[in-house]
Amino acid sequence: MTTTSSTSRGGAMARVIIGRTFLWAWLLIGLVPLLFMLITSIKPAGIANQIPPAWIFQPTLDNYASVLSAGGGKSESFGQLLTNSAIVSLGATALAILVGVPAAYALTMRDFRARKGLSSWILSTYMFPPIVAVIPIFVFAGKLGLMDTYPALIIPYAAFNLPIVVWILRSSILQLPYEIQEAAMVDGASTWEVLRRIIWPLLVPSVATAAVLTIVLSWNEFLFALSLTRSGAKTAPVGLQQFTGMYGTDWGNITAAATLIVAPILVLMVVLRRQMVAGLTFGAVK
Amino acid sequence: MKATAAPLDATLTVDASRRAAGRTTVGARGRKPLTWKKRSTPWVYMAPAMVVLLLMTVAPTIFIFYSAFRNDKILGGVGKFVGLDNFIEAVTNASVQHAFLITFGFVAVAVILEMILGFALALPLAAQTRANKVGAALMLLPFAVTPAVAAMVFKQLLNPNYGWVGYYLGVFGFPKGIDLLGDPTSAWIVLVILDMWQWTPFIALILMAGLQSLPGEPREAAMVDGATPWQMFRHITFPAMVPFIAIAAVLRTIQAFKTFDSFKILTGGGPGESTEIINLGIFRVGLQSFNVGLACALGVVFLIILSLLIPFMLRIIGRRADPEEM
Repeated sequence: MTTTSSTSRGGAMARVIIGRTFLWAWLLIGLVPLLFMLITSIKPAGIANQIPPAWIFQPTLDNYASVLSAGGGKSESFGQLLTNSAIVSLGATALAILVGVPAAYALTMRDFRARKGLSSWILSTYMFPPIVAVIPIFVFAGKLGLMDTYPALIIPYAAFNLPIVVWILRSSILQLPYEIQEAAMVDGASTWEVLRRIIWPLLVPSVATAAVLTIVLSWNEFLFALSLTRSGAKTAPVGLQQFTGMYGTDWGNITAAATLIVAPILVLMVVLRRQMVAGLTFGAVK
Repeated sequence: MKATAAPLDATLTVDASRRAAGRTTVGARGRKPLTWKKRSTPWVYMAPAMVVLLLMTVAPTIFIFYSAFRNDKILGGVGKFVGLDNFIEAVTNASVQHAFLITFGFVAVAVILEMILGFALALPLAAQTRANKVGAALMLLPFAVTPAVAAMVFKQLLNPNYGWVGYYLGVFGFPKGIDLLGDPTSAWIVLVILDMWQWTPFIALILMAGLQSLPGEPREAAMVDGATPWQMFRHITFPAMVPFIAIAAVLRTIQAFKTFDSFKILTGGGPGESTEIINLGIFRVGLQSFNVGLACALGVVFLIILSLLIPFMLRIIGRRADPEEM
């Protein structure tokens, strides 16, 4: 961008207009792939991939009905894949919160010498590349007979989201006035009672943020789901890739399936926009 | 939620005052010796999380360091110790070197472009107008799309026979039925564009939050003194934004090194091996050819390279995200 050294109102206006034009052009062009997905998914059979693209047609939900119903030469219905995704995401989230809350609490205890080192270690596991973990976990899962089961995805997903969960919760606890905890301890409350009665009720909003983030990131995961599932625990994003082989160019069905995967996540993310950005930056940006 | 990020020196003074205040409260330390029970309590609370992390990060690390020196195959029974053979292969093999090289190239190009565009988008987006509320929500949409789904949608758009992109390019006079994924250069451009489409919003929203949290006084003072817009940006806005830029750059770099879905789905590493980044290479060697030894050696090299980023992450994220001083 060239900047004029004029401080005149005209120059400032021009800059604002250029900036806004760029912003809205980006936003609108960015919507094209999503529009394509949505429009194609409601096109009647036969015109979904017609060239030139059909813009005037009678919208239909047939594609959605078709992908959600079992049979039709498919090994499993897409509804089952979505269910698998939901079970794995919720399971991973429950596990991450269950182990993350006590850990976050421990990392705020004042007479816990190792808390800084441990906090840093947990944060640094965010760096751990999934591709490096996937081969050992593939071997472990095979040896333990967990291949193609829900736990084979739930445990890794919980682990890889723990740095975010623990850091969000830890900084929330640190922001609570310590005097409340102290007063309770003076009255003879145990650490467990302090966590249960005092910290937990105040922590619920942060737990919700951490939980939604973990759900979203687990729902979207692809590499582990691709490597560790075959059929029984297969998640929706992996199933979608095999659709292309199954349906060839039946784009109506493929885009309907894609929309079903994306829709719930879009809603969650847009509603909780600020919390999501804050969470994904470990609370560094609020 | 409001944006709460003060410039660095302000956080320091806050920390200092909090520390001073902390001394006046009755601390547990230094009065009476702690009982063993009290000292072990935090470890009890830490244990479950540590077990999960040990299982999923430390155990795999031990496994790859062990397997990298052996020639195990997933299907082929028990292998044996082969010394440095896998590492020699990993370092000397031309296609491995190529994979590492294009990985770094991709990360550098994607992160730099996304940072610049993210800043350019954050500036108009930071103004608190009603339109921008809608803008911020729209901004997030591509970022919220499941990466594997986004890659597949892009693949359909680029389909040489039925894709919108080929058709509308044809309308504007480009050759008909262009196959952008069939040529290494255009395939790379597509992959970078997909990455920018998905991730620039993340950076723009971080920088937007940063811009909205900057104090207004310095800008007003500079205006009164007749500073030009460029001087204002150069001496006031940009320096105050450095911490946010650092956060966005570090996080995005880490995530970019983990990129897998878009390459796997859009090009599968092709045409030829031209887009086979190291994540795809390890996946192919380990989980498709089942050469665990070589895949683990590659993993060790990759892990060591990525570990160099940890100090940056701890300094930039750890310090800023931490209400206490690290």
